[in-house]
Amino acid sequence: MSNLERRLAAYLTPLLGAARGVEVSGLERIHGGASRETSRFVLRYEQDGRRFERRLILRRDPPGSLIETDRRVEFAAYRAFHGSAVPVPEALWLEEDPAPLDFPFFIMEELTGLESSIPALLSPPYLQHRAKIGLRKWTILGEIAKADPERLGLMKLLAAPAPSECWQRELAHWEGVLDEDELEPQPVTRAVIRWLRRHPPPPAQKLSVVHADYRTGNFLFDAEGEIRAILDWEMAHLGDPLEDLAWGLGAVWQWSRDGLAGSLLPKAEAIRTWEQASGLCAELGALLWWELLSCVKGQGIWVSGGREFQDGVNHDPVLCMSSWMMGNSQDRAALALLGQLP
Amino acid sequence: MKPEAAHALERLMQALLTEIAPAVQPAYLRASVSIQAMLLLTIREEFERAAARRVEENRALRALFADAAQTVTEGALRDRLASAAASNDASLLVSELEAGNRALRALLIDLHAHVESLVSAEARRIEAAIWRELSASTERRKLSLGPF
Repeated sequence: MSNLERRLAAYLTPLLGAARGVEVSGLERIHGGASRETSRFVLRYEQDGRRFERRLILRRDPPGSLIETDRRVEFAAYRAFHGSAVPVPEALWLEEDPAPLDFPFFIMEELTGLESSIPALLSPPYLQHRAKIGLRKWTILGEIAKADPERLGLMKLLAAPAPSECWQRELAHWEGVLDEDELEPQPVTRAVIRWLRRHPPPPAQKLSVVHADYRTGNFLFDAEGEIRAILDWEMAHLGDPLEDLAWGLGAVWQWSRDGLAGSLLPKAEAIRTWEQASGLCAELGALLWWELLSCVKGQGIWVSGGREFQDGVNHDPVLCMSSWMMGNSQDRAALALLGQLP
Repeated sequence: MKPEAAHALERLMQALLTEIAPAVQPAYLRASVSIQAMLLLTIREEFERAAARRVEENRALRALFADAAQTVTEGALRDRLASAAASNDASLLVSELEAGNRALRALLIDLHAHVESLVSAEARRIEAAIWRELSASTERRKLSLGPF
């Protein structure tokens, strides 16, 4: 066992009660999720004369990341939706004390034999299932929007803004991120922010759980086109369900370059699917507001990742790449929504 | 003859992607090497146009400010516009062109916010010119790997 594997085994031993011979092996960092260091490992132990083996995921806070988030929120979101119509891995242990592994972390089950990457989605055998994956994607998002945060037990943990204040909270937050982290002036995003303030949206139809990064690339799918798990809940909060719908429709996620929302479905079909599943209405004026807010939020994420890289807090090249490549695409998406891109 | 920088960057990118990345373990580091290869491709693209796009944009912004200075009524902003319009790029070093560009783009934000508050047809004309420039600015920065 490596040193980290030994420390992980030592941490898990008392949590497993009567288990003996606790071993951790195969600890290997995997790509994906720029806001946490994600690793897979195998846990083996003996209990009641039987050997057990579990494949698990360790999500550990890095010193800097694309998104500054709360691990307790992510852990609670996984727990809240486990076993519901929203497929998620089982979250097992949360540790906020940095002593055991140097940084706070949580552990959840690993779902194996599945894909999440865009290149895989756009290649056989997954390519032929894009429409099916798209229908599932927006149906599951409708289920998230429909869910009652009170019954999920999330009202205790997450701030609950008034329906009329959801938009102000999000806009103020992401404008603050830009104010703090931008490395150069952002004239397109600043113009969008002024537009958003001049054209406030209607109050949220209901207060929903907002995943906040619900996009292609953040769920696991199989070779039959079924979505098996929604991942990366680190920005989850309570808010307007249109925020999630708008984010996933963003032009910056159209990697297939064929105009399909999330590289999966025509935009109108995605919206219709979400409306049917959620029982909510995606009024186009309100949706446009949230699509433009998504451009501000996206720019906030790219800018803060670029700042982390520039300041040397995190040397992951994906932060630099995102800042360069996605920042300009995000501006172009905003201009297109405002009818200002030829 | 010596290899050009763009060619060298492209060759480095190919080597990382096709020769080095497949031999790297674990998978996380392999993916990281692939991203660094894409980063080199982006640097190659940016290297070629770095000075040209900044010179072009700074020139376009100064012309826009010279035009807008006739319309803007607020004294301090008008003076800043006139001063920026009369300035020029003293050096073709990318770092200096970039510093000038940032100052001009910061002024563009102030101008844009100001003309949005004006009601005249002339203000709308300037506003339309600003949007055209913002659109052009994203064309200048467009990267072949970008999704949109």
